[in-house]
Amino acid sequence: MRYFLQRLLQFVIVFFLVTFGVLVFMRIGLNKPGDPARTMLGGTASQAQIDAVTKRFHLHANYLAQYWFWLKGMFTLDFGYSQVHSLNVTTYLKPKILPTVFLGIYATILALVIAIPVAVYQAYRRDGVGDKVGSFMSFAFVSIPALVLSPLLKIVFINHLQWFPRLFTKVYPWDNPIEHFKNFFVPTLALTLPLAAIYVRLLRADMVQTLQADFVTLASAKGVSPTRVLWGHALRNSLFTLLTNVGIQVGGLVGGALVVEKYFAMPAMGDTLVRAILSSDIFVVQSVSALLVATVVIVNLLVDMSYAVIDPRIRHARALS
Amino acid sequence: MTLTDVLELATPAPATPEPRRRRRRPKIGLWLGVGWLAAVAFCAIFANQLSFIRAYDTKIKVKGRTGRYNIGPGWRTWMGTDASSHDVFARCIYGAKVTLTIGVLSTIIGLFLGGLLGVMSGYFRGWVDRIGSIIVDSLLALPPLLLALLLVYRMDDLKGIYTWLGWLNREWEITLTLGILAIAPFARIARAQTIALRDREFVLAARSLGAKSGRVIAREILPNLIPAMLTVAVTGLGILVAAEGALAFLGLGVQRPLTWGKMIADGQNDLARAWWATIFPCLFLFFTVISFNLIGDRLARRFDIREAAI
Repeated sequence: MRYFLQRLLQFVIVFFLVTFGVLVFMRIGLNKPGDPARTMLGGTASQAQIDAVTKRFHLHANYLAQYWFWLKGMFTLDFGYSQVHSLNVTTYLKPKILPTVFLGIYATILALVIAIPVAVYQAYRRDGVGDKVGSFMSFAFVSIPALVLSPLLKIVFINHLQWFPRLFTKVYPWDNPIEHFKNFFVPTLALTLPLAAIYVRLLRADMVQTLQADFVTLASAKGVSPTRVLWGHALRNSLFTLLTNVGIQVGGLVGGALVVEKYFAMPAMGDTLVRAILSSDIFVVQSVSALLVATVVIVNLLVDMSYAVIDPRIRHARALS
Repeated sequence: MTLTDVLELATPAPATPEPRRRRRRPKIGLWLGVGWLAAVAFCAIFANQLSFIRAYDTKIKVKGRTGRYNIGPGWRTWMGTDASSHDVFARCIYGAKVTLTIGVLSTIIGLFLGGLLGVMSGYFRGWVDRIGSIIVDSLLALPPLLLALLLVYRMDDLKGIYTWLGWLNREWEITLTLGILAIAPFARIARAQTIALRDREFVLAARSLGAKSGRVIAREILPNLIPAMLTVAVTGLGILVAAEGALAFLGLGVQRPLTWGKMIADGQNDLARAWWATIFPCLFLFFTVISFNLIGDRLARRFDIREAAI
């Protein structure tokens, strides 16, 4: 429990530190009065406009005060104002978030669904033909950046086979599940395959170790069926590295998503973020970074918590303390 | 029963070393990787001297006229031409020069700063470690590509504001940015290894002989970190090359010479018409990344390092 609180505290510190860092970093060098406002307004803005924006967003205050105002807004879901799009950041971001969230969740789940059976099979039939082929494939896919996989998949599935639509249109699953699937399949695949390859390599290495442990021999000796030994005993004890990595990969997944979304021209967070950075849309950048940091932090926290679910030793240790 | 007999019974027989059943894996992968990197590096360094690589700005004419994607891959241009009739192969080579230079320099920056942070955290522990791990966690909390975008874009801005930053060009901005991204992984592995090393006998011996911390770190710890750091550096190079590609693809790359990521972005809309303008830069990127991974994998096996084996 103490360990858990320590982690929580560290994550909270990291969240504040990083979001404050982003705020300061977006404003460094803009120290003349009215400078941040001028950057936000862009081009030719009248002095009155600059004054109004400066006042409205407290841009004359010091960084800590500005951070405080922004943080206060965050808790009431008021993320600030996008000067470039003349919209509330909340209104502006809302439609862009969902596609990215879908993409990330689909990619992670699909990667796990592919990786776990493959890795278990490979570890079970170690050094067999299947293992060799699997290792080769996973090594190759680990080395394909999303930037390379996207064009390849697009050529094969979209241009050549023509199974999926050329232009991405945003369809929610509750509106039309089939169209939704068609639109998301290829981008998801581009994110999933490298991710699955990483998972396979990690889980296989762990499973091979676990399968040599005494308790596995004991379980087989007392007559537990191989299937149960493999999926019940061995897999459960091999999941830790994999789970930790699911947390670690969230950041990388977001990076991959930026590229994939841009390649398939999806109107989602990736495109929004790049545009916001390029046009100095300070509040959009801050909000998106805060959301992403929060996601990374929360996923890692969930991963820590899931250890207790898998491992009774951790669960009981917690009950005792 | 003599004493020796008893002793013999009491001491377990030394475990016979398990015969190596597995044949040594062939090193084809390693040599393919080294070969590819050597060939690309050679072409990139001597691009101006080699006759089969056209100059960067040469436009290729068909019947005296230039045209978008006017030649496909073939004898005249091995990898076809791009939207402004430039030789794709030549451009890939010029791009390789930039990408590889950025990759190597940023790895050195990351190695130095990350190594320093990791060794300090691992050796001194306590509050140094606490601060170190907060820095590393903060660097990891922002998705790397987002951090890179922010850094490159703001450096561009700051260059215009502060004159002393005038020496920063795009190459340096990206190098510094990727160097900062590389700090966290290096720091993690250096810390883990240092913790494992600091309680070993030879380190204790050096300390009990009165060696100061600086000397212990320099003479006892650092030499033993080299295998792990080298392995991570090689594997990391692959990741940094891919990251440079992604940055260029998103429009924050080196403008001249273009790198692979930007070429992929430029060919994006004509994928159906001129696949070669996209596929060949993709292949260059893929082969380079996999080459670094192959070498890194071999090093990890050689030095028996698991963390780097992802």
